[in-house]
Amino acid sequence: MRLTEDEIYRSSTQFRLWSFTPEALASLRATTNSTATQRVKAAVKRLRESRNQSETNSEAENGTSTPVIFNREPDCLTVEEEMKVVEAFCGRAIVLGNVLEFPSNVIATGVQYLRRFYLFNSPMTYEPKSIMLSAMFLANKIEDNKMECADYAARITGTTKEQVLAPEFLITQALRFTFDVRHPFRGLQGGHMEMLAIAQGKAAVLPYVEKTAAEFQQEMLELPTQPGGAATKITQRELEKRLNAATDKARDTLKSSAIQSDAYFLYTPSQIWLAAYLLADEVLALFYLSSKFPGTIDAETPTGIAKLKIVATVRACAVLLAPDPALQKLSAEEKEAKRLEEINEVKAIHVKLRHCRDPDKMDLVKLNKAQKRDAGVEGKLEESVAKRRKLEREKNEKEADEFWGPELPKNGKKA
Amino acid sequence: MSRAAQRSGAAPSKRAQEDGDMCPVCKSARYLNPDMRFLVNPECYHKMCESCVDRRFSQGPAACPIAGCKRTLRKARFRTQTFEDIKVEREVDIRREVASVFNREEDDFETLQNYNDYLEQVENVTWNLINDIDVEDTRRKMDAYKEENRRQITRNQSNAAQEAISRKAREEEDHELTRLRRADARREDELERQEKSDARKGIINKLATTKGDAASIAREGRRAELKKSSAQRVALDKKRDGDVFSSGTENGDASSAFLFKGLKKRVAPPPEKPYDPYGGWSAEKEYFSQQDFYDWDYLSNARTDPRYSAGGYDINDYCARALCDAFSGFGVFIQDEVSGRDLGSTPSMATTAAAAVGGERVDAKMDDVF
Repeated sequence: MRLTEDEIYRSSTQFRLWSFTPEALASLRATTNSTATQRVKAAVKRLRESRNQSETNSEAENGTSTPVIFNREPDCLTVEEEMKVVEAFCGRAIVLGNVLEFPSNVIATGVQYLRRFYLFNSPMTYEPKSIMLSAMFLANKIEDNKMECADYAARITGTTKEQVLAPEFLITQALRFTFDVRHPFRGLQGGHMEMLAIAQGKAAVLPYVEKTAAEFQQEMLELPTQPGGAATKITQRELEKRLNAATDKARDTLKSSAIQSDAYFLYTPSQIWLAAYLLADEVLALFYLSSKFPGTIDAETPTGIAKLKIVATVRACAVLLAPDPALQKLSAEEKEAKRLEEINEVKAIHVKLRHCRDPDKMDLVKLNKAQKRDAGVEGKLEESVAKRRKLEREKNEKEADEFWGPELPKNGKKA
Repeated sequence: MSRAAQRSGAAPSKRAQEDGDMCPVCKSARYLNPDMRFLVNPECYHKMCESCVDRRFSQGPAACPIAGCKRTLRKARFRTQTFEDIKVEREVDIRREVASVFNREEDDFETLQNYNDYLEQVENVTWNLINDIDVEDTRRKMDAYKEENRRQITRNQSNAAQEAISRKAREEEDHELTRLRRADARREDELERQEKSDARKGIINKLATTKGDAASIAREGRRAELKKSSAQRVALDKKRDGDVFSSGTENGDASSAFLFKGLKKRVAPPPEKPYDPYGGWSAEKEYFSQQDFYDWDYLSNARTDPRYSAGGYDINDYCARALCDAFSGFGVFIQDEVSGRDLGSTPSMATTAAAAVGGERVDAKMDDVF
């Protein structure tokens, strides 16, 4: 049995559970939104009824009437508004990661957790801020970046350790306990490494490519600077500089727009880094792609079709990663105005969100505590339970101290 | 007369009792020596007391002191009697001995009929030995069978033991087989040496008696010697190469005195394959071929840094991983491959969540859609 690179990716949870077609992604978000809306409405209705109940009771007692405040049907977020909120918090997560100087894979993982979480949950149900903080902390653990929870909480104003940890299990559950996120960063390094080797004329050529390393080097040195441009002739040093610049640019794309878009859901990491490279230096990226296929290739053959398909996929991914072309045409002032406008829009959505939050899920810390074994009223255990536990604990300790250890359970009796 | 008759009538029972308590050799009675122990030798089953055994056989094998018995006995084989009746003792011994030689199991035979026929033959042998019918002939046949089938016998013995303690038995079998092999080799060596010295003697004799060229006689002798020894070596190799399982003694043996029908051909278990930690999977590079060395500043720092190399970190592993990452999913088209599949369990999850909305909470612990 052969295990090729593609098979390795197919075996990952990212492919099995977290890859979608655009339609599936849209329908998933719509379902999540409608479910959350129903939930919020039902919860608000229930709350209102119970409040009315108590009010009528008090009315009967006091003989005075108080107006019902909570009679308006909550105005829930739409799918687009939800998306905007999540996007905004992805941006904030990146900022937070940069401020706290997390490695880029930690930031990327945290942002992906956030995106994955809000595929199946709505911001109306769970507040994005607390989820974002917790997801970033979780990403630290997963990516092996040691950080004490107390330190982490202390560095973010107005956050306690409990608040960071409260939604953690919720997030792991929503991630379906699949913590592995395949990033395109290392792939970019590998590609850069191989392109450098080609530029140096020392590359190990694939067996089915009928070219020598020297031929590849020659071709690469004569690549035009712009797509469709005239062939040039540069030195090896200049070529290496060009490669470095392209890789740096691609890395920036991967760190920003790749993690802020749906690219991880729609494309594989290999395609994502190639797309980022395509944005950085189209000629080099296409040259590198073609170096993976036999030199003369018929478009009708399976290999030819595969090549065309890969190029098309990478281009489609590049469109997703590319900055908005309309935005690029604008001047700096207009860009700033656009940015402010967006901020205001998000703020407005936030205000709206405040009114349509699911009242059941407001206090995550309390919810988290309620799930724990020692859940009690206001953090205190019931007296009898506490007493029984204490006695049990003392008995166990005493027995464990004895020379032969605690007594074995009698036959047929539960231990 | 009547008294005498009376006495003689009463005597046998009394004497029998006394016999049990009196050594037939030294005539000392238990009355005088309460700690007296009686021993028998399975050679002739004549009883005698421990001190007699010590006295007579400490110096080495000696003849049985009982009148009319001329068997040579060894001290080591004397033992206490298990059964009161010496006949039973003897029969048990014989049965044990026969069973240790004829130790095939029912599984070794193709049909039950074959197995029963075999058992009958074995019982015939046992019966002959117990009742002293054709003892010489039967013994000879049995010994011949034992010699020819010793490997099979050893294996069966250890198989029987294996059921009790499998590992120990296997070791024992190995030991036994090794011992046999070693004995074989030793015998062969001995033979060879003997022949060599004989041949040399022959050459010397020839040199002494004939009037020929000394050198040519010596050469001829040497050549004959060499021929012989090489033929032997070939035969020996053949014998050694023959696996334990194919040592030609499988089928009860036409040459031997016994012929057992319907014996299963024993198949050697297939040799164990080497353990494959990957379970038959092999990594294959489809989109890249890796070089041994990549000239890149980023890597050269790590290559020379003892912090990496000391721990056994191999830069080539990083290169392999980076290249594998670069192309894992290169030819995977999510749009095509995912479109067919159900979105995990998403729709059903969504519906359960929606169902939960109207009514009570589904579960306090698992309160989200999963």
